[in-house]
Amino acid sequence: MNVVVIGLSHRSSPVELRERFAFADEKIPGALAALRESGIASEAAILSTCNRVEIYTATPLAPETAFAELKKFLVAQHAFEGALGAELYALAEPHSLQHLFKVASGLDSMVIGETEIFGQLKDAYELARAHQHTGARLNKAFQRAFNTAKHIRTATNIQRGSVSVMSAAVELAEKIFSSLAEHEVLVIGAGETSEKTARALQSRGVKKITVTNRSPERAAALAAALGGRAVPFENWPEEFERVDIAISSTAAPQHILDRAKLEPLMKRRRNRPLLLIDIAVPRDIDPAVNALDNVYLYNVDDLQSIADDYLKLRKEEIARCEKIIAEKVAALLAANQFSTTDGHG
Amino acid sequence: MPSLDPPHGPKPDFSNWLRSLHAATILQSYGAFGLAAVAAGMFLMQQHDLKFHKLRALLSLLPSIQRLELITLRLTLVGFVLFTTGLVTGAQLPRPAGDAYLADPKVLWSALLWLVYLELIVARLFFGRSTRRFTLGVAITFVFLLLTFGITNHFSGLHNP
Repeated sequence: MNVVVIGLSHRSSPVELRERFAFADEKIPGALAALRESGIASEAAILSTCNRVEIYTATPLAPETAFAELKKFLVAQHAFEGALGAELYALAEPHSLQHLFKVASGLDSMVIGETEIFGQLKDAYELARAHQHTGARLNKAFQRAFNTAKHIRTATNIQRGSVSVMSAAVELAEKIFSSLAEHEVLVIGAGETSEKTARALQSRGVKKITVTNRSPERAAALAAALGGRAVPFENWPEEFERVDIAISSTAAPQHILDRAKLEPLMKRRRNRPLLLIDIAVPRDIDPAVNALDNVYLYNVDDLQSIADDYLKLRKEEIARCEKIIAEKVAALLAANQFSTTDGHG
Repeated sequence: MPSLDPPHGPKPDFSNWLRSLHAATILQSYGAFGLAAVAAGMFLMQQHDLKFHKLRALLSLLPSIQRLELITLRLTLVGFVLFTTGLVTGAQLPRPAGDAYLADPKVLWSALLWLVYLELIVARLFFGRSTRRFTLGVAITFVFLLLTFGITNHFSGLHNP
């Protein structure tokens, strides 16, 4: 019995091809049953996300035979008629297990170290298990993969830091203010990114949100969605006396906030720290305001470069993670379940 | 091995409670000012990194700058109260006839430092001085305070009877 995996991911194929092979959740149990009845696999699980479609099997066939059969199965399931080459990868032990562990740890993800895939893999495994399509081999392999992913999360920095503009902004706010719950946020310009940033701040404790926009209807709509209040666009400078974090994303062609405007406002705020997040292009806030005391201005490039730096740190951790995975896979293969080779291993 | 111990000097004089209070409060105030200077240094570093968009600001394990500033302020206030108590009790201690309290170099230096700390606190609390200038003041003043310990103590008649 050999654990083999066949599939395609964002690394090997474009989205146009991946979506052709995607399995809807309700189709998976049927596909797994068909796979086992065909005799190709005695245990199977299907992982289907927007970035990858993979079939994990424990098969009595020799790997090469299994790969060919699985490819035929995959093509037949989706009635695919085009040619398939390097877009499809097939791995046998120990590479199949290493791949599974890597996927679980987020090492094979588009954003390295992300944790969403862990939940998706868990769901895929639970779905297969609930319909009794997994057995001793896959159960053990998946459980070890989940344990290894948790171990890697705590033992390395692979998941450390913010890799999106929104979360970088939240992290900054937490380095400036002791407790976000006590600080008010002003959203200038009701755009999608500003809404996401405001929501990210809310998830970390921000309670009060004020929204302003040139068209009052959109301000009111976003304020309602965020549970905040809307103020007329002409009045937003007055809000500066109370707010400590401002997110700006208007479509204004020139700066809406400059040093001459902000300086008297800072006096009225008695020099409390102020975090300005300018995600508008062209920029809303004159970069010169950063020279004012207690003002911390970040534009979209600053936040992006923080996210990129974090991503670089994560990449440096990959070698450590791969070493851990190699050890864990070796331990799994050495364990009793896997040492009993059956002529194909 | 007691025979190898250096011989004990004369027993310190604890009979005067005012003198004990004086020495204790002054030393504790140095401690509080010292910790305030450390927090101020952390604040200044962290503020610089945040202002100039350094990733280091996010990687550091320091508390938020708002908290660091609060810690600096509170420690300075505690130090100031202790320092005031120490100076006042010192003035009550017996002096050689004819010596004015402020004529002693260490006392004079300490009184100057007391004024500097008073100015820092009043400007911060009542005149909205910026957090950066306040913390910078706390850090620099502590360097001068260390001089009281080393240099001015040496020239003080009152403290070297």
